Amino acid sequence: MSHSILSALSEDLLVRVYGFLDPPCRKTWRLVSREFHRVDSLSRTSIRILRVEFLPALLFKHPNLSSLDLSVCPKLDDDVVLRIALDGAVSTSRLKSLNLSRATAVRARGLETLARLCRALERVDVSHCWAFGDREAAALSVAAGLRELKMDKCLSLSDVGLARIVVGCSKLNKISLKWCMEISDLGIDLLCKKCKDLKSLDVSYLKITNESVRSIALLPKLEVLEMVSCPLIDDAGLQYLENGSPSLKEIDVTRCDRVSSSSLISIVKGHPDLQHLKASHCISEISLSFLHNIKALKHLKTLWIDGARVSDSSLLTLSGSCRALTELGVSRCVGVTDIGMMGLARNCSNLKALNLACCGFVTDAAISAVAQSCLNLESLQLESCHLITEKGLQSLGCYSKRLQELDLTDCDGVNDRGLEYISKCSNLLRLKLGLCANISDKGIFHIGSKCSKLLELDLYRCAGFGDDGLAAISRGCKSLNRLILSYCGELTDTGAEKIRQLEHLTHLELRGIKNITGTGLAAIARGCKKLAYLDLKQCENIDDSGFWALAYFSRNLRQINLCNCSVSDTALCMLMSNLSRVQDVDLVHLNRVTVEGFEFALRACCNRLKKLKLLAPLRFLLSSELLEVLHARGCRIRWD
Amino acid sequence: METGEDDLCQNNWGSASILDYEMAMEDEEEGEPNLHVFKASSSGKDNNNNNNGGQASVQGVKAQAWDPRTMLCNLSFMEQKIHELQGLVHLILGRNGQLQDEQQQLITADLTSIIIQLISTAGSLLPSVNMLSTTAPGSALFPFPREANNLASQTLNNGGASQELEDDAEEGENLPPGSYEIKQLEKEEILAPHTNFCTICGKGFKRDANLRMHMRGHGDQYKTPAALAKPPTKETLPGSDAPMLIKRYSCPFPGCKRNKDHKRFQPLKTILCVKNHYKRTHCDKSFTCSRCHTKKFSVIADLKTHEKHCGQNKWLCSCGTTFSRKDKLFGHIALFQGHTPAIPLEDTKPSAAASSQRGSSGCGNSNNNAAMVSFSLGSAANANQETSQPCVMDGKTSFEESFSPLSFDICNFGGFPRSIFDDSFQMLISSACGCSPINGGVGSVSDTSL
Repeated sequence: MSHSILSALSEDLLVRVYGFLDPPCRKTWRLVSREFHRVDSLSRTSIRILRVEFLPALLFKHPNLSSLDLSVCPKLDDDVVLRIALDGAVSTSRLKSLNLSRATAVRARGLETLARLCRALERVDVSHCWAFGDREAAALSVAAGLRELKMDKCLSLSDVGLARIVVGCSKLNKISLKWCMEISDLGIDLLCKKCKDLKSLDVSYLKITNESVRSIALLPKLEVLEMVSCPLIDDAGLQYLENGSPSLKEIDVTRCDRVSSSSLISIVKGHPDLQHLKASHCISEISLSFLHNIKALKHLKTLWIDGARVSDSSLLTLSGSCRALTELGVSRCVGVTDIGMMGLARNCSNLKALNLACCGFVTDAAISAVAQSCLNLESLQLESCHLITEKGLQSLGCYSKRLQELDLTDCDGVNDRGLEYISKCSNLLRLKLGLCANISDKGIFHIGSKCSKLLELDLYRCAGFGDDGLAAISRGCKSLNRLILSYCGELTDTGAEKIRQLEHLTHLELRGIKNITGTGLAAIARGCKKLAYLDLKQCENIDDSGFWALAYFSRNLRQINLCNCSVSDTALCMLMSNLSRVQDVDLVHLNRVTVEGFEFALRACCNRLKKLKLLAPLRFLLSSELLEVLHARGCRIRWD
Repeated sequence: METGEDDLCQNNWGSASILDYEMAMEDEEEGEPNLHVFKASSSGKDNNNNNNGGQASVQGVKAQAWDPRTMLCNLSFMEQKIHELQGLVHLILGRNGQLQDEQQQLITADLTSIIIQLISTAGSLLPSVNMLSTTAPGSALFPFPREANNLASQTLNNGGASQELEDDAEEGENLPPGSYEIKQLEKEEILAPHTNFCTICGKGFKRDANLRMHMRGHGDQYKTPAALAKPPTKETLPGSDAPMLIKRYSCPFPGCKRNKDHKRFQPLKTILCVKNHYKRTHCDKSFTCSRCHTKKFSVIADLKTHEKHCGQNKWLCSCGTTFSRKDKLFGHIALFQGHTPAIPLEDTKPSAAASSQRGSSGCGNSNNNAAMVSFSLGSAANANQETSQPCVMDGKTSFEESFSPLSFDICNFGGFPRSIFDDSFQMLISSACGCSPINGGVGSVSDTSL
């Protein structure tokens, strides 16, 4: 019967229906029938590859892919890329977006092949490829149609490499050079001269001077400028921006130590349409003249002034004129009190995100006012606001139905009753309760039973809660993918047994839980197949049986911390050889593992490791051959 | 004597008082000029003079500076030289056909030398007229080797002409046309190695001061302070207080922007400029750097400047130009479309070495592409098998395959028995048997991507 209904649907209709589905539903869709699977294969436009072995087959199966994410693909190197290039059946001509973040083993040869293969390439992400240098940049510059390029933390990239990209890809309109520490004024200057279409530029953490800002100011179309923590740029440099970059919409000068409010005033004067002003931890005080100029920004949506001295009256003046404000950051601001916050809440009813971290004088009254006025509030950060109690949380539960993110880390006033109120925010996705000592299983039970959409839960050092609470969470929050239980000393194997019900869990921190043994870990490993990050630091009582189970079941594990674990030589070898996706390993203070054990274990996984932490003496005890291979494969070793 | 550095010589070139010309000894080997050709040249020069009446009027002032006593002196010198010449020609006639090559060469050299001295002295007999006129004697009149031509043309502009060269006004370059006088040296004149020649022995010098020092060797009359003093320039000469016209120079190369016929003619300031411009732009670059063996120059001073810094130019552009400074390279790249910095070769070596090392340590293959590809195909097949059948417990194969790419047999671990692994494996099998079987390839594609 059902078969006939399905066969009545034409392929066009199926494609349309498919278009309305969420990503998780699409997975189920694939399993319905051959026809459905075919629709999925043809309609799919983006894919994230977890295992390099399947890459050619998947590329062949999905001919209409426009986005390919290889950032979590271990063993991806030049040879794999060359093999794809030689395989004629694979069609990559429609590929527009390519994510090669952390693909440290892909060097110039592979990059050039990829750039030539994907002719329509527009977006590339090579961030955190520490081996990405000038030759790699030269290879990538073959992709002349590139529009967006992310090169965060490409530590070997110098001005020469940037110049290659700038000359080769002159259509760039978005580039991020965050942490590319070798880039200097010359590179930035050339970038600004050659890529006139640039709309978004990130030069955070670079050692560039005012000269760069002078060049940047000449970019006619620049809209977003991020220059977080540029220690050499001062007011004189920022003043170039007053009359430059006429379409500037967003500027971030967070932690630029030498920047003061005077240059911010000049930027504001020159750009009355500015929408996002992020100046955290760079201005010490909100002066009257600054306030006066900020008032003129009628379209201001985001204002970050964390760390500045703010008076109630200035908050009132500010909120009175910038009524479009949707995001305000006043964390660590001295002088933020209830009066100011209540005035703000009255005026800025569109507020969606509010960061009040470390504003110690804010009480329930302010929170209540915000909750009642700002009905669209989605994100609220209240870390270390010690005066907040259940009353404030009650208002949040009553009014803030759209709240998605709530950070209550280190709030002493949060108790079980407070959690009960919070649980009424049924749209909550991220909840942080770290260091809240006054919560117990009872409160957690409310969260588990009502916040079914929760994706992330942080219970770091919540000493008062135990296995029963965890059971409630595991029952209720099925979509949880990030769970932090570090130093929750009450947890035992019984609780761990419950965790296995969380099938979507990808990130689990169990640091310092002494009561979990091999049995508990085996249960987790068996249940949470998607686990990619596991922190077992100082879980001293887990024996080899747990690690063996881990080695056999957690095939998706990408990052693991085994510091101070009592893992044996053999178990470590099993783990490292069987976990074929493992890329980042912390192996410090493993008392039961011998040097030979390390040698064996590392040889087993040396072709996929990207980050490794070891005790410093091992540098001389491990064979140089092994270390060379690790280095050649782009693995970075931190010697502790 | 001829020790002055090149640039110094060139700086003083303008002030050279060209009294007389003689052939430099090193130039004698070439050519065998005929006397009547030089006569023709003088007639050409006369024509030239007539043709440029306009200019002649300008130089009327200079004509007065002409000294009849010098002329007499020169005439007697010429007489003496003509006698020498006659003697030589008789000698040639007497031994007609019996001359050996070497002798012939010697005689020819002598002949050339004397004839040139004659011509140069004859030139000095003329009332001093500016011979650097725009239509100086064309090369058609001197279809002869270079030095002969040089000398002939240089002969024509001796006397007062040279004194004007010193007059290198430092005005800006935007002189309105007509506000300055255009001179055009001939190619041969520009390329002449020396501009000052000893009237007695014919040795050539670049600087007149060097010539005067040299002259001391020819007799006491050259040792007087008056003879050694710098010859009076035009300003210092009595009766020359008429206002001077600014001199600018034209390049003789047709079509050159520095040529006066060019639409947007930009004159050259000094004779030094003319010389350097002509050599740099219109001559072969015959001086090659002895260090890099790639850079070539036509002006020797440029070569010397380059050699000082050669090897320090580590900033290389894709067009082949090198720069000693990074900012210069980036300025160059900003200026030219399509130019990019070249990645230095040093960078390629380590990575190539690393990849070959990787290749060899991986499977003992040499570092060629095909080998690498086949190797990785193999390893991928292993991996495939490994992941698709995670529960296959047939011991060693799957276990050891996962220990790729380093093979265990190669390495020798002291005191770490292999059997431990085998044992553990057995243990694992037994413990794993209690567990539910795992699905193969646990979700290879996650749907979380956007």
